[in-house]
Amino acid sequence: MSIKNLVPNTSNPLHVLAGFALLGLASATHADPTCGLSNGRPATGEPLAIGAVVGKTGPDDFSSAASAAAAYFKCVNQNGGINGRPVDYIVADDQWNPETATQVASKLVKDRRVLAMTGSTSFVECGANAKMYAQEDVMVIAGVGVPRECFNAKNYAPINSGPRVSATIAAMYAVQKYQAKKMVCIIPNIPSLGNWACEGPKEWGAKHGVVSETIAIDPGSADATSVMLQASAMKPDVIIMNVPKGILVPMLAAAEQQNLGKKIHFVSSAPAYNIDVPKAIGPYWKGRFDTNLEFQPLDSQGLDNKNWLALMDKYAAKSDPRDSFAQSGYLAARLVTEALLKMDPKKIDRAGVSKALRAVKGFKSDILCKPFYVGDGLRHNANNSGPMASSNGSNWTVASGGCLTAEDPELADIRADEVKMGVR
Amino acid sequence: MSDYLPFLISGLGLGAVYALSGVGLVVLYRSSGVLNFAFGALGAIGAYVAWSVLDAELPQALAWAVALATSMGLSLAYGRLLAPRLAHRDPTIRSIATLGFALILMGFTEWFWGEQPRRLVLPTDADGLELGEVRLTYTRVLGLALALGMMAGIGLLLSKTRTGLKMRALANDRDLSALLGLRVLQVDTVAWVLSGAFAGVCGLLLANIVRLQATLLTFLVIPAFAAAMLGRLNSLPITVAAGIGIGVLEALAITLPGFAPFRTSVPFLVALAALPFFRNDARKA
Repeated sequence: MSIKNLVPNTSNPLHVLAGFALLGLASATHADPTCGLSNGRPATGEPLAIGAVVGKTGPDDFSSAASAAAAYFKCVNQNGGINGRPVDYIVADDQWNPETATQVASKLVKDRRVLAMTGSTSFVECGANAKMYAQEDVMVIAGVGVPRECFNAKNYAPINSGPRVSATIAAMYAVQKYQAKKMVCIIPNIPSLGNWACEGPKEWGAKHGVVSETIAIDPGSADATSVMLQASAMKPDVIIMNVPKGILVPMLAAAEQQNLGKKIHFVSSAPAYNIDVPKAIGPYWKGRFDTNLEFQPLDSQGLDNKNWLALMDKYAAKSDPRDSFAQSGYLAARLVTEALLKMDPKKIDRAGVSKALRAVKGFKSDILCKPFYVGDGLRHNANNSGPMASSNGSNWTVASGGCLTAEDPELADIRADEVKMGVR
Repeated sequence: MSDYLPFLISGLGLGAVYALSGVGLVVLYRSSGVLNFAFGALGAIGAYVAWSVLDAELPQALAWAVALATSMGLSLAYGRLLAPRLAHRDPTIRSIATLGFALILMGFTEWFWGEQPRRLVLPTDADGLELGEVRLTYTRVLGLALALGMMAGIGLLLSKTRTGLKMRALANDRDLSALLGLRVLQVDTVAWVLSGAFAGVCGLLLANIVRLQATLLTFLVIPAFAAAMLGRLNSLPITVAAGIGIGVLEALAITLPGFAPFRTSVPFLVALAALPFFRNDARKA
């Protein structure tokens, strides 16, 4: 990882000062985190309601972004709040059920009258609620979005890049590093994810003389070996894994048993980036398996990343994960806090907050590859760059070359919006 | 044909999975009259315990022993503490009670070990039989061998030994067996410990061949029911043959464009297709 790719957080003068203080104490491990006004005075004014919908109970726990956002708001409330007003952060579990997602979001938006949604991370809520958020003019600065709908809604702006962009970056890296000419992309046959997330490599490949075929798999299947044999039978140079980590590990185990790693390179979209994965897949994959990261590594030495970790230590539970979802939740909460701080505390209403959030551009953090923006576009995918890392048998080694920006043809409208906003 | 050969061989591994679980289900059904939905969950918790032992860098033999002891202990606890209280209830209620037990075990396993991705590596993974371009690892060979071995062993136990006779008597009529002086609790203990032991062995193999994930391992028992049903919950050889056959068919289904993403339905389609041919037996079961 090149240090020049790490952008210092300079959006708030206080952060800059705090940053220099942190630099001076580079060896200190328990530096005091900074957030909001950072004045050490508890906020006592009228609370500002902010909501989040997460998929906590169900096939997987998608609540760590909201846990990190909650930690950030806790810090804000103990440090002056939003110019004296504390944040009342309300997190609802949609239980991975679209009907429940609609119910809990309606309750937050229509009954609790939240000003915005922050750190939401759900597999089902984008499809279920995006229209309602637009009708009610509530902006969602989500943590992590996964299905297509999360990146195709006017009022929904995830902090992450999403599986399609992530897989496209992995494909670009594979072509760059391994001179791949033929690839196979493996994806679960889940509605709203299905082939879409593998179309990025396919469409980018078509423009660059690289063939990419897609295999849709049943995530509940007990038979990973047949999938690997099917992919191998297509004689690819590279296999792109676009599956959750729970399926990835047995798939790579099946590939290892067939010794496929010897003749085919394996790369993955971001779900593989988890500290337990290199150990779980074992030494066979040392140098044979690369993954994309939606953010800078969890242990990166950037000031904002260190601030996130320090903030988690001070304000989150020990059991709350320090994963990339948590990075996204921290960033979402920071972005919303900084936008609210620019508003007159007596005149904070939903319309004003939505307007302020849409106006966000040039939001900097060393956790991100490039400054983030929200904008007024019909859809949002501002994060479309990320580094790559390779398994070294027990951990991840970040690849040299820094961040890669996805050249997914589907991002044409996003690029046009960036030009219009003057951020490109 | 050569296009299908790799999937046929890979299907043998999957078939071993279904055959093993199917035999485990039939064993307890024949020996106690209960369809044990907790079979997969008992195996899963054993496999997680083995993973923890191996993660602590303790010997492989100890991991196996502790895993088996866990599955057997939990199975025995259910068999001695809860099952006797349901002994006089309808067979459906007795079976559904094991589903409740399965969900409790699954919930505990997920809570205790969490979502962290894990892999249970066995020494038998390192090598295997090279068949064309496909490698059948020794773990899968072991799975196939165990399915056949269990079939033969349990078949002999039930039909040729005194314990087997007592088990069948108890499964057939619990009250009458007790009146005739059969030591009900003793026979129950053997049946549940045996079932737990098989669940433990299957759990270890399935966690390796399929994946170490509590939910999947718990519900892997459902497609295995297809194999057990084809064996009419009675015939061990037919259950093993059906399990292997279903596994091979499911693996081959990946070559059918359009159907491939839905091939996990193969066990149920096979069971549905077979059911009309033995309606009378189904009614008895």
